[in-house]
Amino acid sequence: MVKYALFLGCQIPMRIPSVEIASRRVFERIGLETVDLKGYSCCPEPVISRLLDKTGQLTVSARNLALAEKLGLDIMTLCNGCYETLLEANETLKHESEEMLQTNKILENYGRKYRGLIEVKHVVEVLYEDIGVDKIRECVIKPLKIRVAMHYGCHLYRDLSGNIMRKPEMMKKLTSLTGVEIVDYGLERLCCGYPSMQVDEEFALTHRLLPKIKKMIEAGAEAVVLTCPACTIQFETGQILLRERGVRYDLPCINIMELLALSFGFSSRDLHLELHRGPISRLIKKVEGD
Amino acid sequence: MKEKEIIEYMRGELGSNILDACTPRERRVFINIRPEALRRAVEALKRKYSTLRFITISTVDGGLNFEFLHHFHVDGIVVTLRSVKPKEENVLESITDIVPAANFIEREIADLFGVKVMNHPKMRNLILTEDWAEDKRPLRKPLKGILPPQARRVAESLISMGCVAPVSRFIERKREAAGLPKTPPFAFANKEDMKELHGIIKETSLSEKVGFDWENKRLRYR
Repeated sequence: MVKYALFLGCQIPMRIPSVEIASRRVFERIGLETVDLKGYSCCPEPVISRLLDKTGQLTVSARNLALAEKLGLDIMTLCNGCYETLLEANETLKHESEEMLQTNKILENYGRKYRGLIEVKHVVEVLYEDIGVDKIRECVIKPLKIRVAMHYGCHLYRDLSGNIMRKPEMMKKLTSLTGVEIVDYGLERLCCGYPSMQVDEEFALTHRLLPKIKKMIEAGAEAVVLTCPACTIQFETGQILLRERGVRYDLPCINIMELLALSFGFSSRDLHLELHRGPISRLIKKVEGD
Repeated sequence: MKEKEIIEYMRGELGSNILDACTPRERRVFINIRPEALRRAVEALKRKYSTLRFITISTVDGGLNFEFLHHFHVDGIVVTLRSVKPKEENVLESITDIVPAANFIEREIADLFGVKVMNHPKMRNLILTEDWAEDKRPLRKPLKGILPPQARRVAESLISMGCVAPVSRFIERKREAAGLPKTPPFAFANKEDMKELHGIIKETSLSEKVGFDWENKRLRYR
């Protein structure tokens, strides 16, 4: 049986727990065993910590990696941001001995050590490579008859192989297994604007989020499929903020794990999809009927 | 070399109260000291060097801290005692009773930065009018750190909780209703894990750089 240490991150369990619920349901159904990473912390959030104190960022990441290493398991993340932070930290620690020494010098004061023995994987990779599309196809009992647009999220393009489309293509394939029709809209690679919200809300909303949503709607999308919680927050709260600017779009957001869970026959009620801030009821109606 | 002799002498007199010392060039000495040892440092210099001459005090408002630079002249060498104090304390120990020439500059610092100079023998405004507003000091900056407003809550939460999205009662209830534990197995759910995480963060410069107040578990500025 495939087994991973599950790194939940901050945003999913605290802001969109329906994604955690759906993920656990899906993992159980496909036979993917996960062990919760007890005592984990933020990956940490990369912008502030990396810019201000690289050693601090690496050490907090290394502590999380060491927790999984102690369990003898590779880490699987549900969040794109956690994925990139932990992946980069892992690569730095494995290949830069000075950083590893400095980090472990701090960790050893607390009885911990990271040896660089584990890998960091995104859930999309695990589902595609370790479980396989055949197994997932077998579990789909309720194909979803909706048209969706894909938003992969910037961090999903990061790949050690250099093939930036490796994981987005996996995500697209996994999405198509649920029976949905995927529409292309031409701006798949454009950032949703979430990181720019800290600096310039107007730019983030009107030059990043809005063009994407417009193109998605024009292409006939009834929902947007995501895997990154930060992007989900941007799409959902961003549409609310756009209303204040006289622009109204009601495009529901759904995480790929929620989409898979729906296609596996779990109900929206069981998945607590109502926790979304976007117009999810419109999508539920379409998928489950009145 | 005289510069080294001065540093060695001061190390002998003040021990661990000397945080750091350097001679960036000939006839220049910087000595970083703990602020509580300022008067002892001045007394030590005066005791040892009969030719000691007070130059001035520079004050730098760094947003979160005041940096006080007490400059002296010792046999052709400029010696600067550097001490840093949090702006919340807003005090500077007077050295006027040890070095009378510091009288006016200490009053000037009090005027321009609003710093309370403790034990000054005759404190009253020097440059500003007597009715000058307490909260409008010409060279004083607002208490502010490096982070822009939008990033402050994230940093505060990251350091205090080890998590950038603190759980709400609403989400806790929803999680329980869905059969999940009230909170995920975060470090903040366990005192020992949290103690370890805070220990790790304290060993790096992150909390100092963002201006985190460990006692109150919040940023020093809003």
